[in-house]
Amino acid sequence: MPVLFAHALVQQSYSTLNPASPQARLVDRLGDSMFITAAVVFGLVVLALLWAVFRRRDSDEGPAEDARREWPLRTSALVATAVTTAILFVFLILDVSVGRSITTNPGKGALQIRVTGHQWWWEVQYRDSLPKNWVTTANEIHIPVGRPVVFELKSTDVIHSFWPISLSPKKDQIPGDENSLWFQADSAGVYRGQCAEFCGHQHAKMAFLVIADPPAEFASWLARQRDTALTPTDALARRGKEVFLASPCVMCHAISGTPAGSRIGPDLTHLASRRTLAAGTLPNTRDNLIGWIVNPQVIKPGVRMPPNQFSGPDLLALVAYLETLK
Amino acid sequence: MRPTRIVADVATLPRTVFGHRSLMWWGTLGFIVIEGSTLFICVASYFYLRRNFSTWPPEHVFRPALVVPTLQAALMLLSNIPMRWADRASTRMDIRGVRLAFLICSVLAVIMTVLRWFEFQSLNVRWDSNAYGSVAWATLTAHGTLLLLETAETIAFTVLLFKGPIEDRDLAGASDNALYWYFMSGVWIPLYVVVFLSPYFM
Amino acid sequence: MSAPSRTDAGRPADDDAVRRQLDETWRQAPGIWGWLSSVDHKSIGKRYIVTAMVFFILGGLEAGVMRAQLARPENSVLGPDAYNQFFTMHGMTMMFLFAVPVVTAVGLYLVPLMIGARNVAFPRLNAYGYWVYLAGGLFLYISFFLNTGPDTGWFSYVPLAGPEFSPGKRVDVYAQSITFTEIAALVAAVELIVTIFKNRAPGMTLNRMPLFVWAMLVQAFMVLFAMPWVATATQLLAMDRLVATHFFNPAEGGDALLWQHLFWFFGHPEVYIILTPALGFVSMIVATFTRGPVFGYPAMVLSLLSIGFLSFGLWVHHMFATGLPQLGQSFFTAASMMITVPSGIQIFCWIATIWSGRPRFSVPFLFVLGFVVLFVIGGVTGVMFASVSFDQQVHDTYFVVAHFHYVLIGGSVFPLLGAFYYWFPKITGRMLDERLGRWNFWLVFVGVNLTFFPMHQLGLDGMPRRVYTYLAGTGWGRLNLLATAGAVLVVLGVLLFVINVARSLRRGVRAGDDPWAADTLEWATTSPPPPYNFTYIPVVESGSPLWERSEELAAVSGLRTDVRDVLVTTLLDARPDSLHRHPPPSIWPLLAAVATTILFVTLIFTPWGAVIGTPLLLLTLLGWGWPHGRDHREQRMVEQTG
Repeated sequence: MPVLFAHALVQQSYSTLNPASPQARLVDRLGDSMFITAAVVFGLVVLALLWAVFRRRDSDEGPAEDARREWPLRTSALVATAVTTAILFVFLILDVSVGRSITTNPGKGALQIRVTGHQWWWEVQYRDSLPKNWVTTANEIHIPVGRPVVFELKSTDVIHSFWPISLSPKKDQIPGDENSLWFQADSAGVYRGQCAEFCGHQHAKMAFLVIADPPAEFASWLARQRDTALTPTDALARRGKEVFLASPCVMCHAISGTPAGSRIGPDLTHLASRRTLAAGTLPNTRDNLIGWIVNPQVIKPGVRMPPNQFSGPDLLALVAYLETLK
Repeated sequence: MRPTRIVADVATLPRTVFGHRSLMWWGTLGFIVIEGSTLFICVASYFYLRRNFSTWPPEHVFRPALVVPTLQAALMLLSNIPMRWADRASTRMDIRGVRLAFLICSVLAVIMTVLRWFEFQSLNVRWDSNAYGSVAWATLTAHGTLLLLETAETIAFTVLLFKGPIEDRDLAGASDNALYWYFMSGVWIPLYVVVFLSPYFM
Repeated sequence: MSAPSRTDAGRPADDDAVRRQLDETWRQAPGIWGWLSSVDHKSIGKRYIVTAMVFFILGGLEAGVMRAQLARPENSVLGPDAYNQFFTMHGMTMMFLFAVPVVTAVGLYLVPLMIGARNVAFPRLNAYGYWVYLAGGLFLYISFFLNTGPDTGWFSYVPLAGPEFSPGKRVDVYAQSITFTEIAALVAAVELIVTIFKNRAPGMTLNRMPLFVWAMLVQAFMVLFAMPWVATATQLLAMDRLVATHFFNPAEGGDALLWQHLFWFFGHPEVYIILTPALGFVSMIVATFTRGPVFGYPAMVLSLLSIGFLSFGLWVHHMFATGLPQLGQSFFTAASMMITVPSGIQIFCWIATIWSGRPRFSVPFLFVLGFVVLFVIGGVTGVMFASVSFDQQVHDTYFVVAHFHYVLIGGSVFPLLGAFYYWFPKITGRMLDERLGRWNFWLVFVGVNLTFFPMHQLGLDGMPRRVYTYLAGTGWGRLNLLATAGAVLVVLGVLLFVINVARSLRRGVRAGDDPWAADTLEWATTSPPPPYNFTYIPVVESGSPLWERSEELAAVSGLRTDVRDVLVTTLLDARPDSLHRHPPPSIWPLLAAVATTILFVTLIFTPWGAVIGTPLLLLTLLGWGWPHGRDHREQRMVEQTG
């Protein structure tokens, strides 16, 4: 299982060096040019140092204060300083230009998604002019390929940072404040992101997935997400729904179409449509779901969800129900 | 050690000096810079936090009362007169002048400390009501520590002046005390304007 | 018995008698009491250095445990709670208990010697500063061992560090332990500034001051202006937690970013505070080991001043991901890039110095070479960070961990180690072993590169910082393992250093006054120096006091030898101006430090701590300042009739 997951993760792109959007690519190119310049500068300095140290000298007397050497040394130092300043100036211009490109508002055609950071999961909300069309999900963000997406970034507790890595540089989510970033995915794929601001015990395991779909697929995904949870037909799953509604789960989790409406924890309405559990920590499989429900503290010590006691049959029923929530 | 060649003799240099010739003066100046920074930070935070409110003071908070704070500000300014007198007397080695001036200043310092207590009440807000209250109280508290320290130092010095024995160089200490007093009282004026007057304008 | 006066130049008779009397006047009292009441800057400097190095080792051990945890994915050496304490303690120890104190301590030891003074300007204050520092460090570590160590990082962002999300006392320990170290740093800053301004040897005009003294002067001013910001910020945080103020609580108009602005306004100068004295070390070592003065003295001084000044204009580059307006951010990009220029000037001048001199490859010089390599690597990644958009990719990742370790270790620890090898003979009278030193150097150099270079890649590959573990599927395991292996080498190298020190203290080759044939005044006295530093205060006639006059040292006479007389000179051109009497050893600084400790520790638990602690502190200050024990009434008694 871990091997499969490992394979799956590696296929997911999550490196700044694999940019998957024009925005990330601009930054990557800027980074490359700075890196190359840096390497050259470093090489030159080290060479100059080595030359200064190891150059052949005639034997001199006493402290060397050779006035003849002053002038070329001073010129070299001045030239080096001037070149340094020029390089820095060029990078300043480049940086301002790249910064402007990636922050300039993409305009009205953009899709708006609100991502709210919580300790230690991501609340994802697709808003609409009609409130009944709002979609609230968690930890997995679908976007259409080739269309700009604007993210409104908020937090309800501590500072988090939304970092889509290969798709975009990061932006902090600050309680009491609202930030935004935008990008556009070049091509379909699964991209991994991380929380990038230390936010407590499980900062390490607060990842998210951005899944870029072709526009038609995205539209149908969104439509499915808008649906309320399917009423289970299977007897075990029906029993599972009853177990759910009678359990402490409803204190924190919402499933639309049921009386459970708490927004404290992730929305479970379409849990089974998600690829991972616990903010990108585990693949969404039956075994992992059982393990998570029974004792999340083993997987993410410190997480807000407590261990849960269910009888064997109840647990199986519950999981069967949750698996119907596609 | 290397052999030395004496080129000058300094035995006749003075041992009591004032102002920037004195080490203690510089030490006092260093302390002033540190405390001044702290007060500046309070003021900067005051204006920074202002941006989080639509009205200032915030809704349901009364503006500060001005009677006691204005009295305090006036007293702070006026207190420079006896302290300046002490300063000049000390450079003249006039111990009686210094004694009298310090006695007056000690009394003034106690009065100002008491007034500071009432200034907190004049704020008309608690420190834990909102960020406005917090930063106003913080500013008064930060300056209050200056006031407290200077009161303690002035009283202690006054006791020393009367009890003795006094050497020349102790009177230089009076001058350093004066320097600190100018700062403590002088810096209060812009703080008074910010904390007590600016809510009437912002 | 007063010293005989002299009006013409001539060698005074009976130097030995003078030295004996000076020794009796200036020496520390014997035994434990003498150690506790000492006001000798050398004694205080040495214990300061040793204490800081102990903290360095503790901080390194913390890092070692962290590296053990991160060597493999999903490891179980440390759980998240323990790891958070470890990385916080590592950061706080290295930044607050090691880096600033150690360079400051070396400064407090060396500066009076380099400027020809007998002591720092305020000897008792110096002692107080050390005791407060020690108290702060002990307080932090005792809390850590009691599982109440801070756990929100060395810069402890709110609201995570606020009362709602960090209940308990951990963050209060954070806030108040910083108070101790910041008081100590401010004390040292005032000492250095006043000493350098007013206690220089006659003739040591500003443009004849050694570059290390300039570096300490600049650093002291930076401390003076930067530390109050963290002091105030931590008190505000403590108040939010203790008495429910709302400075950082957005629900009541407070602001989470206010903390960041306040902290980083201190935090950025802080790293240059750590760097600047190290730049001073490098200048001294380069001069001595190339047998010539540093090239471009005015440029070196101006670049030190620029670094000090500019460093206050960069702080927002730590906040590029917080959503501040772009135009404002660009200003900080420009400033952050600009500070490269004076740092570059220093490096160019050192290279020019080496080029025009004759290098000697002793261990101090090796560390300087290592410094250039590592610091330039860290410096160029620093320039990359100055770019807002690039920063927004690598901020809060292992890329930044790599960057700052390169500039801190390369920029400060390497010069520091070089400085230890250079000045150990002066401080102890014995040389450190060259061969062990070389092993020390290479192990640490290779180890540092192996540990931190891979972290650049890890950051670019998406590994955030401050994570107690990572998933196997991320592929970060290999480079993390490599980094851990490098850390083992670093540990071995540091171990060699400790062994070298321990052995050389007992069996090292004895050093004379000036084993390196160096140029600055500290080498004109014995190794170790006597308690009074110099028999006669030297007079300086050029920027190279020892090289230009290799036979005799000019000096002044006239200071009394039966009391602690020091010479005060004018600020700009160091003309003798007045005489000043330093106090004898005193226990009051220690008592005041105890009172300070009571004040700030009780404040963690109750605001009434202020009511308990403040009068105690005032009492000790009274005891400290009250004139007592005056036997020598050489001064005119001020009469009643005035």
